[in-house]
Amino acid sequence: MALHLVVLIKVVPDGKEVFVDPVTFTLNRSMATNIINPADENALEAALQIKDKMDAKITVMTMAPPFAEPFLMECMSRGADEAVLISDRAVAGSDTYPTSLTVAAAIRKMGDVDIVFAGEKTSDSSTGHVGPGVAEFIGAELASYSRKVTYEDGYVIAERELENGVEEVRIPTPAVVTILTDSNDPRRATLRKKIDAMKKGIITWSLADINIPADWVGLRSSPTVVKKMLPFPRKDRKAEKIEKDKIPELIDNLVKAGVIKLEAE
Amino acid sequence: MADMKKAEPPKDPSQYKGIMVYLDSFDGSLTRAAHEMIGVGRKMADKVKEPCIGVVIGDRVASMVDDAGKYGCDEVYGFESPDLSMYRSRPFTDILSGMVFEKKPNILIVPGTKNGRDLAARTAVRVQSGLTADCMEIDVEPETDILIARRPDYGDSTMSEIRCEKHRPQMATSRPGTFEVPPYDDKRTFKKEIRKVDLKKEQLREEILSFKPKGGEDITVSKVLVSGGLGMGNAEGLKLIEQLAELMGGSYGVTRPVADLGWAPRDHQVGQTGKIVRPDLYIAAGISGKPQHIVGMMDSKTVIAVNKDPEAEITKYSDYVINGDLYEILPVFIEELKKRKQGKGRK
Repeated sequence: MALHLVVLIKVVPDGKEVFVDPVTFTLNRSMATNIINPADENALEAALQIKDKMDAKITVMTMAPPFAEPFLMECMSRGADEAVLISDRAVAGSDTYPTSLTVAAAIRKMGDVDIVFAGEKTSDSSTGHVGPGVAEFIGAELASYSRKVTYEDGYVIAERELENGVEEVRIPTPAVVTILTDSNDPRRATLRKKIDAMKKGIITWSLADINIPADWVGLRSSPTVVKKMLPFPRKDRKAEKIEKDKIPELIDNLVKAGVIKLEAE
Repeated sequence: MADMKKAEPPKDPSQYKGIMVYLDSFDGSLTRAAHEMIGVGRKMADKVKEPCIGVVIGDRVASMVDDAGKYGCDEVYGFESPDLSMYRSRPFTDILSGMVFEKKPNILIVPGTKNGRDLAARTAVRVQSGLTADCMEIDVEPETDILIARRPDYGDSTMSEIRCEKHRPQMATSRPGTFEVPPYDDKRTFKKEIRKVDLKKEQLREEILSFKPKGGEDITVSKVLVSGGLGMGNAEGLKLIEQLAELMGGSYGVTRPVADLGWAPRDHQVGQTGKIVRPDLYIAAGISGKPQHIVGMMDSKTVIAVNKDPEAEITKYSDYVINGDLYEILPVFIEELKKRKQGKGRK
């Protein structure tokens, strides 16, 4: 039976073309160009690399308004077999708890999922909470911060890149893996796959389709709330101007103060 | 495994008391990030007059438990099993969530190392509460016992204050390097308890096949950092940065765009998506000072900015500002330092 891989993606604003609504404290994305979250592109590529080697079906999924459709089409044009859009007005304002819950409910509806791939974090809110949260809700094993993932006989082998080294772990499926940004080179879309994608179209699910009550999600069912926005903290320093010819003097002063040490300790 | 349902707040949040600190470790020692979090927990505990409760998980925890107490925890719980010598997502989540259910802490803070973030995210779902990641400021409001968690926001030009008013425990993580390590007090007294854990097979499905320690420098421990930004103009500029860093016995850093361009490895990236550093001396050469970068170096003791633009944002975070091209200014530093070093050698 074909392996079923699910790739979670998020459409995020590109760069800094975003402003924060001063009344609701939510991000206004209307001004920004949207992209697929960079780490999610790596997650899709990691799934595609497994599909290159064996019989596998890839479902790409996002929870977003319909504006995300072209990005799901892009993923299919790169090799994903189907695309699911969870779209429901009630999810607006959800923090990572209801988001993980909703995504997990959709994965459960699919029933036969072997591996869930997600980016290590998103470039807009960068919490990295949803991958582990989904693992927790579906009761799967988890390999977070992975840079290389292979599959063999019911097990996922993942290289987790930690602060002080690289750990190789083996976990049985069902598994969730979160993939590091820049960990591979995402392939390009092909015209043939693009045509196929257009024929297939996108599957859209509402909350009712995945049996999630509307009052379980959204701003009101999110444990965290953004209370206020504050200016970025400034630690004003004296910013003393030093002319080029006064650099020797500056160095002398820093040596005297012990900031620069001329001899190795 | 968490129940598939919405996050239910407790009926009476005031029953939740104390500041729980998860203490992440590596190779039998608490990480620097764990020590930082003890400091944060200690301060909040003093403010609300509630205990600071440390949780340590490992294969041999006795010395780490003592360490936690001497750095500032009032109570430390150690969980010990040969199967827990390295972090494993499921059993660690089981143990930490178990402690949350048992002790009912009002606040739970977790070091934002990769394993810590993995653990915090799962635990938040398991205990049905709210988690705020990458906090630069963590505090508690004594009147309400509410955690004030502030994190840089999108584009990092503002900070968001995030609260979790109804759910407990109120959770937060911070990136390593964000806070200072509190003082060690050998005479501190504290309550400790070490529990042997017997793990079931289904908790140990994750198998660790190998661990390869990463070589290379850890820029977060360098006393001197010389960093280059896009002002270098090309990858060659890094040589000058490295040369100066080496002369001062330090290491080099770069900004995110420089790492994005592949001019330098990610391990050397300073900032919100890189490392958070607090060296004695930070030289920012050709760095404009985007908040993304500032977050990573603003707590350096002395900052020197070298920039063509005298009004660059970085100057506001600098003690000394040298206006000019880094290709003219840095060689002066290099030459002067060489002179002084040779002078020393002759004596």
